[in-house]
Formats: sequence, structure tokens, C-alpha cells
Amino acid sequence: MGNAGRVGEFVEAFGNLKAEVGKIIVGYDEVVTDVLVGLFAGGHILLEGVPGLGKTLLIKTLAAGLDLSFSRIQFTPDLMPADIIGTNIILEDADGRRHFQFQKGPIFGHILLADEVNRATPKTQSALLEGMQEGSVTVSGISHPLPSPFFVLATQNPIEMEGTYPLPEAQLDRFLFKLRVTYPALEELNEIIDRTTRSRETEVRRVMRGPEVLRFRELVREVPLAAHVRELASLIVMATHPQWEQAPEATRRFVRYGSSPRGAQALVLGGKVRALAQGRYNVSVEDLKAVARAALRHRIILNFEGEAEGVDVDGLIGDVLDQAEAASRRGKEVFLQ
Amino acid sequence: MADSGVLERLVAQVGWQIRRRRAEFYGLRGLFFGALLGLVPLLLKTAVGSAAPLIALGLALVGALAGALRGIGLPLPPLDAARLADRALALQDRVATALEWAGRPDRSPLVDLLVADVTARLEGVDGRGVVPRRWPRELKWLPLPAVLLVVLALAPSIPLPTGRLPVFSTSEDSETPEERAGKILTDERPKAAKREPLQRAEILERNLSARGGATGGSQPGDLAALFKDTALAAQRPDFQSFLKKGDERLRMLEQVDRLPDLKRDFTQSQYKMIFQKRKELFGGLRADQISPQKLRELMEEMERMGRKGGSWGGDIGEGMEALESGQTDRALEAMERALSKMRAMEERGRGGRGLRGGREERGRGGRGADRGAGGGDMEADFGEGEGLLPGKGRNPTPKGDPTDRLRANPFDAGVEGESRSGRKEGYETNLLGKGTSVPSRLQYLGVFGQYRKMMEEAMAREQVPRDYQSQVKEYFESLEERR
Repeated sequence: MGNAGRVGEFVEAFGNLKAEVGKIIVGYDEVVTDVLVGLFAGGHILLEGVPGLGKTLLIKTLAAGLDLSFSRIQFTPDLMPADIIGTNIILEDADGRRHFQFQKGPIFGHILLADEVNRATPKTQSALLEGMQEGSVTVSGISHPLPSPFFVLATQNPIEMEGTYPLPEAQLDRFLFKLRVTYPALEELNEIIDRTTRSRETEVRRVMRGPEVLRFRELVREVPLAAHVRELASLIVMATHPQWEQAPEATRRFVRYGSSPRGAQALVLGGKVRALAQGRYNVSVEDLKAVARAALRHRIILNFEGEAEGVDVDGLIGDVLDQAEAASRRGKEVFLQ
Repeated sequence: MADSGVLERLVAQVGWQIRRRRAEFYGLRGLFFGALLGLVPLLLKTAVGSAAPLIALGLALVGALAGALRGIGLPLPPLDAARLADRALALQDRVATALEWAGRPDRSPLVDLLVADVTARLEGVDGRGVVPRRWPRELKWLPLPAVLLVVLALAPSIPLPTGRLPVFSTSEDSETPEERAGKILTDERPKAAKREPLQRAEILERNLSARGGATGGSQPGDLAALFKDTALAAQRPDFQSFLKKGDERLRMLEQVDRLPDLKRDFTQSQYKMIFQKRKELFGGLRADQISPQKLRELMEEMERMGRKGGSWGGDIGEGMEALESGQTDRALEAMERALSKMRAMEERGRGGRGLRGGREERGRGGRGADRGAGGGDMEADFGEGEGLLPGKGRNPTPKGDPTDRLRANPFDAGVEGESRSGRKEGYETNLLGKGTSVPSRLQYLGVFGQYRKMMEEAMAREQVPRDYQSQVKEYFESLEERR
């Protein structure tokens, strides 16, 4: 199959998967697209929204559309790391000799739904860290590789803060995107009622398998990136740092820590998937802008003033994008700006 | 491998458009600055001559040409031209990416697809009009130097400045002292007269001669300097000294009672006439060389003037008797005494009376009125510079009049400030026993911001546990609401 065929296959698979999810999930077109972008970019997704908006349903539907193993962990305060990773248990063989054997936990699946991830203690949350970053877990000094593709989708509730443990910055940074699930519009709500109160449920077809996902992930990385687009990605990340001399006023005032280099990687990888999903062979400035909020909103840590003022990080990212574009034009001749 | 020739042609086409637009842009900017520069020869038309308009026009054209050449010659990276084409043709950075990656050895297979895609999209696309025309900021100001160029070219030449200070002295200043002194008697125009202290005629004569000179700075109180400073023109052009002298004049103008009565013609005063005649009579001669006949005529004239109210009649009579007996020395002494009295009377007459703010004005109202009529009588006998200032003259209160008391109550020693009327509130600091119900005077509003900042720093350093941060924030927010 030629390159054009590979790209065409990807575009078709992307569309099919989105359509299958769309059978169950009403609206949320942008959220679904970003979840798929995260899947093919090889990252993990954190979904944030109030209860009842269909976050868990979205992930379950996506898992149903993919021919991959699916695990769901409901995070609670008494959840222990071993409950996620697994543990060594003593087994007795036929000779009567006892030995330890590793019993795999639910993390050993292709798609892991970490529901209400902020309800578990930081110790348990950290059990996900190695798996998300390295694709393996280590128990008693022995490393156990996770199945590939490994895709974590976590949800959290932003309003119920009682008895929760907000994710530490190190773990937040390991999520490629943080997506906000908002209330559906009136028409979408009507459609949700129609679909969910009928007698027969809609069937979701499996349209993609694990090896295809991996192949598409490789294809995504071949998308060329122009120098000026790469430079803009760097400028966007730099503009989130209050210490940068060209940072916008909002950043200087409300931000304590800016994005890590993972933010720039997320921007570019997300841009590549988005471009390829549209049948384009290059990353454009518009692609970066489209994924900037999802890629950066959880990587920007507000200071006290920002939190006290209730600063919206998405609005701040808008300022960051404007400033980064202005910085990319600065110093150029008037006709080249 | 796809052919990138289409891309290169497009980039070249866009590059040429950019250069053309740049030539227009920088050409107009150069025209503006050239026109500004062209104003210089037109302003110096006197020195440059009739070629000034041509030079001005040439400078404007050279500026435009230089700007256009600069615009064409500015560097133009092909990738920037490609980005411009992407933006103009809505190609989403396809051209720039393809152009950048087409020649790279580490190109991915997708690059060929990209180049083919761009080439296909550029088929039939007109690359003209990709670069929009821009106008320089200076364009809106361009009509100004252009109009000035035309106006100055048509207008007559402007005379060049000489580089010297304006001449403050008139032609009269170059006259000799003798000419000037003689002219006092014959000049019909009213002039300001200088106030001279009561002194002998010889001293007066010397001062008059000194004033006629062209050197020597004007002294404070020299009222003639208000109107004509003959010394200034002879000095080097020093602007600071010029300002200083101006300040002195302004200070003198504030002393209203010392201003001369300009309505009066002091050059035609009786004293001046007699004084001049005496001067002509003496003419550097000794007492025994003076003509008795002319001396008698002069004394007779002084006697006639004394009949109108002068007090020098006795002196003149004594002088006439001495002249009859051939004692010229005694006659001259008597005449000098009479001349002094005549001058004193005239000084009293022009002592600022009748002028607004003068002595009589003050005597009529204000404190002068409180002093009663006695003060006014005494003042009439005062000599020059006497009587009004503390420690001078015969004023019975040499230190001046005391000011009124601030309040009628002699025991109230408090002085009201400007902040508010009434007594100020005092604070008792030596409190013993149980505290009084004095409200707290802690600068609450002042320290709140400080404490809040400390709290923010503690939060930032994460000294406050995360679970408690919201409570601390709510506490400070509640304080904020109370403010």
C-alpha cells in the first residue's frame, strides 16, 4: 500500500471510529475528536466535568469501537497501588513448593478508564505514573511491560473537592490533553433523551484493532513540520512562563509555573494527528491553535492571585497564543510579518 | 518524487511582488524624508541662490529613488515568501512546509505527497495580487513638506540671521556726556527723572555726568535703567546677565512709590534751569573770575522764583548784599544755600506723591489712617529715604507698628493651624489602671495588604497544606468583603 493509501486509510478509520462513538455520544464533537487525537498521538487523556455528562460513557463507547482490552478502575480513597498494578501472591506447585507469582492488576489492559481519579490517595495515583510514561510497571524489582497500545483515560469531577486529592503536577503533566466536558446544548439534550430512553440500545461496531492503532501512530510521526510552525509551538510554551521577558501580562500576573516541554510535544503531536485526520500532509499554525487549550490548560499552574481572581486558564491561553504570534512576527520586515 | 518546480515558480512570483511592494513602500517613505531635506536649500535660498528649487526637487527625488532601491534590495528568504503565499492563498502552510522539506535528506514519504498535493492545488491559481499594498505611516504627512516645498520655492528668499544681538542703545547713547547734559535743557520730550539724594550741587553734577557715560552697570534704584540701559549694549552678548538685569528691572517695577511721575517734565523744572545757568556761569572759573553782573542776574532770578513760595529769599538777600559789598565768595555761598533749598523743595514735590501706591496713598488709608494726622505731618518733613522704614528718620516707632493680636483672649496662646479650626485632639499616653474606651487605632487597612501578601507567599512556598489553602483563602476573602 502506498503512502497515499496509508493516509487515506487513516482518514477513513478516524472517521469511522468517530462515527461509532457518535452513535452513543450526542454532541461533544470536539471532545470526541480530541480523544481520538490523543489516542493516535500516543498520549493519555484527562476528562474533567461534572457528573452525568457522559464522560465514562464516552470512554466505554470508544473502547467498544476498538478491538482492544478494556479495564475500568473506580478510584476511591481506600484504593491501594496493588489494586491497580497487581501483586505477588504465594502459589503452591504440585511438589508442594511455594513460590511467588505476579498477579496482574487491571492496569494491564489496552484501554484503562480511571474513573474519578482524584478520589484516590496520591500514593495510589502515583501507581499510574510509571505505566503512563514508560509503558511498564515494576513490582518487587521486576518490570512488567504493559500491552501496547496503552491508553489511559481518566475522569475527574471539578466541583466536589471534599475528600479528594487533586492530581499532583507531575502526574497531570503526563496527560497529553485535558478535556473539559461541558453541558450539552438544548438540541443535544433532546437527542440524548431520545437515544437513552428507547427500548433497544444501539450497537457499536469494532472498527479498529490494536496493530492498526500502532501503525497509525507511526504514520502520524511522519507528518512534516515547518520550521516556523515549530518555532511558534516553542513560543507558545515560552509565553506560558511568567519569567519570559515577552510573556503576556496575564501570564506574568496569574501564572506560577508555565508549561513543561511536554506541552510543546503535545502541541506538535496533536497538530500532526489533526492535520492527518483532515487529509493534510503538514502541520499548520491553525492546528497548533486548535489543540493549544487541550494541551496546555493542565500544564499552567496559577498562582494564588490567579486562583483567587478565578482566572480562566483557557482565556489565558488565548492571550498566550496572541502573544506568541506577535513574538513570531516581531523583528520581521513589514511585508514579511 | 514530485516536481517542486511549481513551488519555486510560485515563490519567485510572490518574491517579485514583495519586492515591488517594498519599492513602493520605501520609495514613498524616502520621498517624504527627501522632501523634508529639500526644505533646507529653500530656507537657505539667499545663500544657495537660484538653484535652490532644483536642489530641493532633486533631494526629494533622490530620497524616493533611494527608498525604492532599498526596498528592492532588502533580503527576501524564499520561506518567508512561501509563508506569505500560504497566507494569501489559504494553503495552511503547505507551500512553506513543502519548500522546506523538499530538499531535505531526512524527508519522510509524506513529503512527496505534500509536494504533489501543493502542486495540484496551485494548478490554475493566479499568483498575482498575493501581496497586498501597504502604505507607510509617513504618507499622510507627505503633503506637508510637498506644499512647503512649493510655497518656499515661490516665496522670496528669507534673509539670513546676522548672528549678533539686537542693539539696545539708541543713537543718543553715543553722544558725549557734555552733549547729553546740554540736551537736557533743550529737549522738549518728557523724560524720566532720576531720584537723587539730597546733596550738594557738585555731587549732583558728578552723578549726572556719570550717567551719561556708556560704561558701568546700572544700579538697583537707578530708574533710568528701567527704560534705557546704555551699559548693556557695550557688554559682550551674555544672555544670563541680560536675564539678571531684566529681573532687577522687574523688582524695581514692583516698588511703585519709587517710580517717577512721568506726567511731569522734570527737565523744565525751575531748579534744573537755575542749576544749568549756574553751571554755564561758572564754566570752570574761580570765584574771583566770575562776572558779578551775571551772578547778580542769576540771583535776581532766584529771588523772583522765591517770591512764589520759596524759602530761600533770605539767602538770596544776603548774597545780594555780599555782592554789593564786593564779597563774591559770600555771595556764592549764599547762592549755594538757596540752590540747596530750592532743590529740597522740588524733591518733596516729586517724592512719589499722587502716584498710586505712593506715600500719600498709604497715608490716606490703612495703617496710616490709624496713626492720625500727626504721622502725616511728620512725614512731610522727612528727607530722602527717611521716616518710613524702621530705624530710619524720625518716626516715633522706629521698629514699625506692632501687628494686631490674633485673638482677643490674652490667655489663649494656641495658634490655629491650617488643617482645621478649633483645638486639636490630644492623646493621653500615661494611662494608669483600667483602660478607657478608646477605640482601636491600629492601621487595619494599612496592614491588611501586607498580611495578605505574606499569606500569598506562604501559599506559594507551600508552607500551608493544600487542604487548608481554601480555608485560608476564604478567610482573607471574607476580610476583603468587610473592607
